[in-house]
Amino acid sequence: MIQFIIILFGLTMLYVSVTTRIESYVKAIAAQGVILFLLVLFDYGTTNLPNLIFLSFETLVVKAIAIPIFLMYVIRKNGIYREIDPYVTNHSSLAITTAIFAAGFYIAYWSAGTVSNIRPFYFGISISTIVTGLFIIISRKKIITHVMGYMMLENGIFLLALSIAREMPFIVAMGVLLDIFIAVYLLGLFINKVQDSYSDTHINTLAKLKD
Amino acid sequence: MIETLLFLPIALSIVVLVVRNKALNIIVTVSYAAAFMAVSILLYFNPASFTPYFRIDDLNVLFLLVLAVVFLGVAVFLVDYLKNNEAPAKSQSLFTANILVFVASMTGVILSTHLALLWVFVEATTLSSSYLIYFSHSEASLEATWKYLFICSIGIALAFVGIIVLSMGLGDSGSLFFDDLYAGARNITPYWLKLSFPLMLVGFGTKVGFAPVHAWLPDAHSESPSPVSALLSGTLLNAALLGIARINKLMSLAGMRWYADNLLLVIGFISIFVSAVYIINIKNYKRMLAYSSIENMGIIAICLGVGGAGLFAAMLHLAAHSLTKAAFFLTSGNILHRFKSKQIEDVRGLLRSEPATGWLWMLCFAGIVGIPPFPIFLSEFLAAKSMFDAGMFVHMVLFLLLLTINMAGIGKAVLRMSFGASTDGPAAHGAGVLSYLPQFAFLALLLSMGVSMPFFVQALFQKAAALL
Repeated sequence: MIQFIIILFGLTMLYVSVTTRIESYVKAIAAQGVILFLLVLFDYGTTNLPNLIFLSFETLVVKAIAIPIFLMYVIRKNGIYREIDPYVTNHSSLAITTAIFAAGFYIAYWSAGTVSNIRPFYFGISISTIVTGLFIIISRKKIITHVMGYMMLENGIFLLALSIAREMPFIVAMGVLLDIFIAVYLLGLFINKVQDSYSDTHINTLAKLKD
Repeated sequence: MIETLLFLPIALSIVVLVVRNKALNIIVTVSYAAAFMAVSILLYFNPASFTPYFRIDDLNVLFLLVLAVVFLGVAVFLVDYLKNNEAPAKSQSLFTANILVFVASMTGVILSTHLALLWVFVEATTLSSSYLIYFSHSEASLEATWKYLFICSIGIALAFVGIIVLSMGLGDSGSLFFDDLYAGARNITPYWLKLSFPLMLVGFGTKVGFAPVHAWLPDAHSESPSPVSALLSGTLLNAALLGIARINKLMSLAGMRWYADNLLLVIGFISIFVSAVYIINIKNYKRMLAYSSIENMGIIAICLGVGGAGLFAAMLHLAAHSLTKAAFFLTSGNILHRFKSKQIEDVRGLLRSEPATGWLWMLCFAGIVGIPPFPIFLSEFLAAKSMFDAGMFVHMVLFLLLLTINMAGIGKAVLRMSFGASTDGPAAHGAGVLSYLPQFAFLALLLSMGVSMPFFVQALFQKAAALL
């Protein structure tokens, strides 16, 4: 069951790598939030009630609801619907993402042979998600897509953190939540600013400063 | 005492935001900077701890004092800057509040005894300084802020992956306090430690401005207001570097000195190489100073990597670079204010048209490239000597060669701007004495350190180096 949920998490990344519809990215991020919530409930096995409440809040309320709604609002307000003309075609994007996942699993199982305390399935999917997030940031042109690539990278990191069977200190989790929240807020704000200043939220408009 | 450093600025920033008064902003900034300085000196004589999470030790007291000195100078400079600034009271209050929170979060980075807490504060520095960079509300500053926010967020995310990977290797103890990490260094699974070090080096290195993850630095430093550039270059880079220094210590305790040292050397040499490539033909003098920061951070990384006498050199270089670069950036603000251009070719005859600025510009140049008796000469000499002692002759030659190229690049620009007939630039802006005082104070401090270093200052560097 748990394995099935984690596979679904990996599938959201594969889906994102082939789609050009910006709204699909948001849906994938929301789905990842729900999956992380399920993992916290059924797999994390925390015995500490405040910790469980906090993590549920972070995954379900922040990651699965608040952030997607905010991103949707930014998209609708600015009328951005498609990732037009990315640097990499959908077809090669899917091929590259698949290769990243293959390499992720290879590394995970290879590491599992070297050291004992990891769960290769979790580890493989989470590092693949982190690398795919970076790949999405590099290969897409819209600024909003960059922000969403960053959110997926953060989700991958969260999955990796869950895979350590130990409770993160409460204060750190607080900090993480705060950072993510403010980062999204600021990034969203900046997209609006960029839209006002440049009339297009395209990364090429932000390439004037150079030597 | 530590709690005043962490909570007072937050309270003050709320007051400033609520009242929205230009005069109050200035009073709060300067008096807080003075209080910060006083508390830092008290903490130097009387090390204290505040909850297990924040503590003064021999290493971070140096970073705290450097922060206090640079912040006090910048606060004094801000008096004139904010008075002449035409932004509405609302923006100025937001600016002041962000400066206070920015300094508080850097203090948090410096005083943290816990790796993950340090990480949280590094992220907080990014968020609190982004408005400072965007303060002029121009398109260029928007672009710079965006790059800063985004690149540093990704970098800091990678550092977090490094922390998670490290805690995978910790086994059952699982504590991320530096003391516990150091005590149990030998028990950490080497596989995970080896994986986590490069991640944290790149992650925190993004904030330090190491090449090749430096892309945000020239933009942010050149587009932000000059006092902010001085704070970024003189204090923020140090704070992030402290994280790397602490992890480096863990690596050497775990018996992986060789591995960590080589990575530091590689990233250090790439940094000074990249800065040499750009600086030799630079067109914009604020970007020149930004590349010079990359160079100096590279030098510190190399010093840390070489070890031995290099550790002392690293600490000396860090303090000297902060003061010199802060003075340099503040002076660049004076030039920008008068000539309204960041292009080197637009500025001529500084020494004639504005002698105070011209002399500061020349002295800062002498300070940053390490002309004796400025202390950077001593630290660079010690760095070269420690490479010689370690038998790294190729490294030494390459190091000196790249430093010379950097020196030539900065020298060419500074001399062009300082000498020559004075152009009929815009009328003098009549900047008050407070626009020059901090720079002269920094340079006087540096000169007194370089001519004859008082024993307690030397002890400060030695004790800090002993903890590396």
